[in-house]
Amino acid sequence: MDIIYFEELFFTLSFAIYIVASIGFFVFLASSKEKIGKFAVIASISGFLIHTLAMILRIIESGRLPFSNQFEFANSFTWGIVLCYLVIHFVYKFTAVGAFVMPLAFLMMGYASMLPKTIKPLMPALQSRWLTIHVGTAIISYGSFAVAAGLSVMYLINEYKKDKGNKKGHMPNAEICDYLSYRVIAFGYLTLTLVIVTGMIWAKSAWSRYWGWDPKETWSLITWIIYSTYIHLRFNRGWKGKTAAWFSVIGFICVIFTFVGVNVLLAGLHSYK
Amino acid sequence: MIKKVGKFIISFKFAIILFIVIATYSIIGTVLPQGAAVEFYLEKYQTFGNIIVFLQFNKVYSSFIYITLLFLFIVNLTGCTINLLPSQLRRLSDEYFPGPLKDSENLWNEKMDMENFKLSLGKKGFKIKDIEKGFKASKHKFGVLGPSVTHLGILIIILGSFLGNMFAQEGFVNLLPGESNTFSEYGFTLKVDDFYLGFREDGTTEQYYSELKIIEKGEEVKSKKIWVNNPLNHKGLNIYQSSFGWVSNLVIKDKEGNVLEKKMLKNNQQHFYQPKHLTVYLYGFYPEFGIDQMGQPQAISQQMKDPHYAVVLYEFNNYIDSYIVEPGRPIPYDDIEIVFEDSKMYTGLIYRKDFGYYFVMLGCLLMFLGLFLSFYFYPKFVLVEEERVLPITRQNIWGFSLQIKNIIASNNKIKKGEI
Repeated sequence: MDIIYFEELFFTLSFAIYIVASIGFFVFLASSKEKIGKFAVIASISGFLIHTLAMILRIIESGRLPFSNQFEFANSFTWGIVLCYLVIHFVYKFTAVGAFVMPLAFLMMGYASMLPKTIKPLMPALQSRWLTIHVGTAIISYGSFAVAAGLSVMYLINEYKKDKGNKKGHMPNAEICDYLSYRVIAFGYLTLTLVIVTGMIWAKSAWSRYWGWDPKETWSLITWIIYSTYIHLRFNRGWKGKTAAWFSVIGFICVIFTFVGVNVLLAGLHSYK
Repeated sequence: MIKKVGKFIISFKFAIILFIVIATYSIIGTVLPQGAAVEFYLEKYQTFGNIIVFLQFNKVYSSFIYITLLFLFIVNLTGCTINLLPSQLRRLSDEYFPGPLKDSENLWNEKMDMENFKLSLGKKGFKIKDIEKGFKASKHKFGVLGPSVTHLGILIIILGSFLGNMFAQEGFVNLLPGESNTFSEYGFTLKVDDFYLGFREDGTTEQYYSELKIIEKGEEVKSKKIWVNNPLNHKGLNIYQSSFGWVSNLVIKDKEGNVLEKKMLKNNQQHFYQPKHLTVYLYGFYPEFGIDQMGQPQAISQQMKDPHYAVVLYEFNNYIDSYIVEPGRPIPYDDIEIVFEDSKMYTGLIYRKDFGYYFVMLGCLLMFLGLFLSFYFYPKFVLVEEERVLPITRQNIWGFSLQIKNIIASNNKIKKGEI
């Protein structure tokens, strides 16, 4: 029994628990039973702890942070999503948003589980202290956008129900979803800016130019522009609410495309296999 | 009419339209291959090839359309910012205090101790001003400048990178150890003393190292070992480790061993030996030779463990045969012998000078500062008057109300404790 065995075991275990938590949150939304909500939160927390353990084992095994291929990115991304959700839960006591965030986490983990998990040493271009800052901020930024997208979907469902005159269910106040998603996006936007800027500094020392229209660079810029639009719509009172919520959802689709689509569909300097 | 168009160009609506158009247009460049020859597009995309080339979709980010969009964006951004600036500056003044907004919730309750509340706000950094029947508290008034600082940063980034690119100098050199390259414009010569690879235990490449010397007027002024992520800088010119390759020594001899011709070949290069109308094509050099799944020769690693050459011979462009040979082993042909004696590694260096980078970094810093001001140091006001406690802010009224509620709640708790 070596470290890798336990890493895989914990990875699979946390994956299963995330699925259970997601189902729990949906039952909570449908039934409005506080107990089920609590159960789902506890499941998320224990899943997160086991996931963290799996990550630590991988760090011990490889002797570096798990930031070097698509499996490790996806794994860390999942971890970031759950972390951001738990922070929101504990700061704002917002249980219901789990129903829209935890499924994203287990989908991302499902994607990770399909990728080769082998631990390879860092290729020369990745051997830089900027790796930690660049990928670390990306995980936090992507995680916040996932939570924000969950909040925006909740807001849109709320609005849809309002239009239909249906008030059943355990959905939180629409206005709070709207405000909270703005605050979370503001944070994610600030960190995304940091991701891009640290990427530029790193690109200059590794590839000689700070910006080269590599597909990953371009798509991160597109994502940044979409969220810029969101933030401007929020500032302009007439457009907040539905329009802004849709931009938050589109923004997150861009995030996912930048993360998965660019690697799968478009070749470039960032396609670390 | 012109006034109307001008007004539209610097409007908020146009900004949103530009955001969406620029984002959408940028996608094209990630889907279509960029910078290939015109023939490539005509052949691959048939009729659409003409449209692609006409609309410059083959070089999206330097196309006329993109530059026009960026120009409009700069005009719009400058216009919007200048439009907003006077009112922002007004809001910086000591006297400024906004009226209640329609989303301000009255947080007053009868248990509140106003003096205590005032003290707590003071402790939290609010500036307090007494008025007739209460007080006004304000904090982070300077935050109103956040958007303008962000916009200024973005303008500096775009203009800085644009100017930088116009004057940037960039190039590429391949050098063998011992060779040098003179940058006459900069008045120095770059000499490669050595180039080698670092290997891990499993044989994979860990890093590429070039040992470089800078020579000015015959004297060595600087020496540095560079690798990927660690360039050399001299007189504003940066020199980067970019790639590497092998050059192999081809020797053509007669049966007695007399050298007839010598040539250095890189992989995939060929040499034409005129007397025999013979073309020697070096398909590849493999320092640790292996065969891949497709039956093709491959380098298992870059370590010189089991070197082999893959060579193809042609006569009058007709294929003769292909060979896998070790260094020094002759390939006989008629009355001559073709030998690859040994191979050396050369280093591929990129050099680049771009002052735009410093403007871009300055712009990034301003942008980051501006965003931080906008999101976390936005102006906050509390109006306390008779039976009214109104938190006022234009941005995050929900979060700010929550903060004020927490202050009120913790004050009440302290009071209870005291009793």
